Amino acid sequence: MATIEIRGVTKRYESDDPERGLAIEDLSLTIRDNEFVTLVGRSGCGKTTLLNVIAGLVAPTRGEVLVDGQRVTGPGGGKGMVFQQHALFPWLTALGNVEFGCKSRGVPPRERRAAATQLIELVGLRGFEDKYPVELSGGMQQRVALARALALDPEILLMDEPFGALDELTRIEMQDELLRVWSSRKKTVVFVTHSISEALVLSDRVVVLSARPGRVRREVPVDLPRPRERTDPRLSPLYEGIWRSLG
Amino acid sequence: MRPRARDAALGVTGTLGVLALWEAVARSGLVSPVVFPPPTTAVVDALRRVPLPDLAGHVGVSLLRVAWGFALGAGLGVLIGITSGWYRTLAALIHPVIELLRPIPPLAWIPMAIVWFGLGEPSKVFVIFLGAFFPMVTNTYRGMTGIDPVLLRAAQTMGLSGPRLLFQVAIPAALPDIATGVRVGWGLSFGVLVAAELIAAERGMGFLIMHARQLGEIAVIIFGIILIGATNLVTDYCLGEVIRRRLGRWHPG
Amino acid sequence: MGERPRLLGLGFLALLVLGWEGASQVGLVRPFYFPPPSRLALAFWELAGEGFPEGVRVGRHVLVTLTRIGQGYALAIALAIPLGVLIGRIPVLDRLTLPLITFARSVATLSLLPLAIVWFGVGEASKVALIAYGCFWVMLTNVIAGVKYIDPILVRAAQTLETGPGGIFVRVVLPAALPRMFAGMRVALGVGFMVIVGAEMIGTIQGLGALIMEARTYYRSDVGVVGMVLIGLFGFAIAVGLERLERVLLPWHRGLEAVRR
Repeated sequence: MATIEIRGVTKRYESDDPERGLAIEDLSLTIRDNEFVTLVGRSGCGKTTLLNVIAGLVAPTRGEVLVDGQRVTGPGGGKGMVFQQHALFPWLTALGNVEFGCKSRGVPPRERRAAATQLIELVGLRGFEDKYPVELSGGMQQRVALARALALDPEILLMDEPFGALDELTRIEMQDELLRVWSSRKKTVVFVTHSISEALVLSDRVVVLSARPGRVRREVPVDLPRPRERTDPRLSPLYEGIWRSLG
Repeated sequence: MRPRARDAALGVTGTLGVLALWEAVARSGLVSPVVFPPPTTAVVDALRRVPLPDLAGHVGVSLLRVAWGFALGAGLGVLIGITSGWYRTLAALIHPVIELLRPIPPLAWIPMAIVWFGLGEPSKVFVIFLGAFFPMVTNTYRGMTGIDPVLLRAAQTMGLSGPRLLFQVAIPAALPDIATGVRVGWGLSFGVLVAAELIAAERGMGFLIMHARQLGEIAVIIFGIILIGATNLVTDYCLGEVIRRRLGRWHPG
Repeated sequence: MGERPRLLGLGFLALLVLGWEGASQVGLVRPFYFPPPSRLALAFWELAGEGFPEGVRVGRHVLVTLTRIGQGYALAIALAIPLGVLIGRIPVLDRLTLPLITFARSVATLSLLPLAIVWFGVGEASKVALIAYGCFWVMLTNVIAGVKYIDPILVRAAQTLETGPGGIFVRVVLPAALPRMFAGMRVALGVGFMVIVGAEMIGTIQGLGALIMEARTYYRSDVGVVGMVLIGLFGFAIAVGLERLERVLLPWHRGLEAVRR
């Protein structure tokens, strides 16, 4: 069970300009168990900040985030995260990266090696275990990043524009990958992107955020079964709707 | 307190702290005040023994030397760096020779320099020249060879070629690396200057220190060391500012 | 295209050397001003046999010089790493020490030679101290920078992976700072070689720097040049060794350099 309740979260950063300092204001949102929710918005609308608050990396100025009724006070603890710039540790191999969290938890070497190998296979990178991040392509790096986040079997997966730095074709590939992995290991996912089409292909619900400060402007449920055809005509009106809301 | 002001305040506090420590240790009696004078007496004593005009003279002589040596070294270095960066055949010929000579520290050249140029100014200027030359050549060459080929191609589609391409595109593109070479070269030149003056000179800041040692004037030695350090810092800062003004607006790094 | 430039370069070099030798044989240049390779070879032989000055053989000179550098260098690195890590991790400490470190770096190391002689005498200690000083500040600034400028996203990623502050320090900060630390070690080595030459020119007859100075006193430019070549050679060899070591210890960083260009 992993529901996320965001209650009136406000985040203000120290800044000379009072306008810029307020990243999110009084944002409330509920995310159900195993739901795939995407946050969409223009640059600067606070999507990343919100994700960091949910992750527990950043404390809100006001308000709180509850996971399964428990207040979020810090990172870790069932909240895995994938970043846009893969954030893989360059000095570790793919396997080493995936094992990292297990090592932090104190899992003995043999067990964590087995678990990590399994995950690397899951994301389709068998044979690349001993490669360093610098030797992998962008898509492969993100696969490792995904495997690493999944290693601690989190109930929640937070993804901050993970495919933003990839080219179109690799992006589409990764979206399908993600859905495949998600279907085999169900989790609650909060996904951030500024690509509307990506949001429509992936999520159960799209939440449109306004910019500066970030607030929920509109929620668009996407009730179509997966896998979805990107050219499905039923997506067009939803696309329109989201596009208009972005303003 | 705004972050910047606070940083500056901390910096000043740290420096004052160190000076206070120095003063305290020197006066405590743990070490003989002759060999370890406190900063206050050191400065006063030094200025008494070496009056300001003499001091200015020494500083002037040193700066002139390093300016000459640096100008020659940087000038030739940039020239060779640019031409060998543009004409790769030249690079293939010249660079092995340069790479072979580079590991030899400039100071090691002093005796040979004296053989070639005698004991006067030219031998010192030569060694300082070497100090500036090698980093200049290396950095300039790196700048030239590291130019994004896209820039050159774009310029070529606009009809530029040959010398115009070199002067209007290649050299400006290489400027950041050249600027790095200038700063590194200056720092090295300065270090070489001091050493050269310690070993064989009759005027200059290095000489001042060496002479003071022979006279047993510790205060002057310490003052001289600090003076050299301060001069280095100031000149490097000025250089940095000039570079920043010329390049700072368009260069991200 | 790959092989041609190298052959060209070597060929040109060979030409220069032969030309130099030839010019000297013919009498075009005086061997005192430009000792030809043949003379240098003889001088080296002399250094290996009788030694110069009398009794001090080439091996001894090299050993003494390398020992001095080694001791000063090791001392500097051993002090700079823990101190640098401390300063880099504690911002207040960083701000406090910044002006001091900036100034200490600007002090020309060899300008401290007279002071070192007053405090430590003309023996080994003054030279080692000098080298240690020069190497220390360079290493320190690099360690501080390496530890300070770590991509914050790596720390955040580690936090999401349930790593505590201690774990983050040992398993993220330190490895991430390694490339910069190695860079510092390389530069510090160069400084060490620069300083030793000057330091050995006063108050000692053993060591490559001393050799060069002694050679001058006796008008033996050939011996002096051999000394120069030896310093250059060893400096180069050790630098290459350090680079090899880095490539072995940091196999992942090499790739990064290639990608960056």
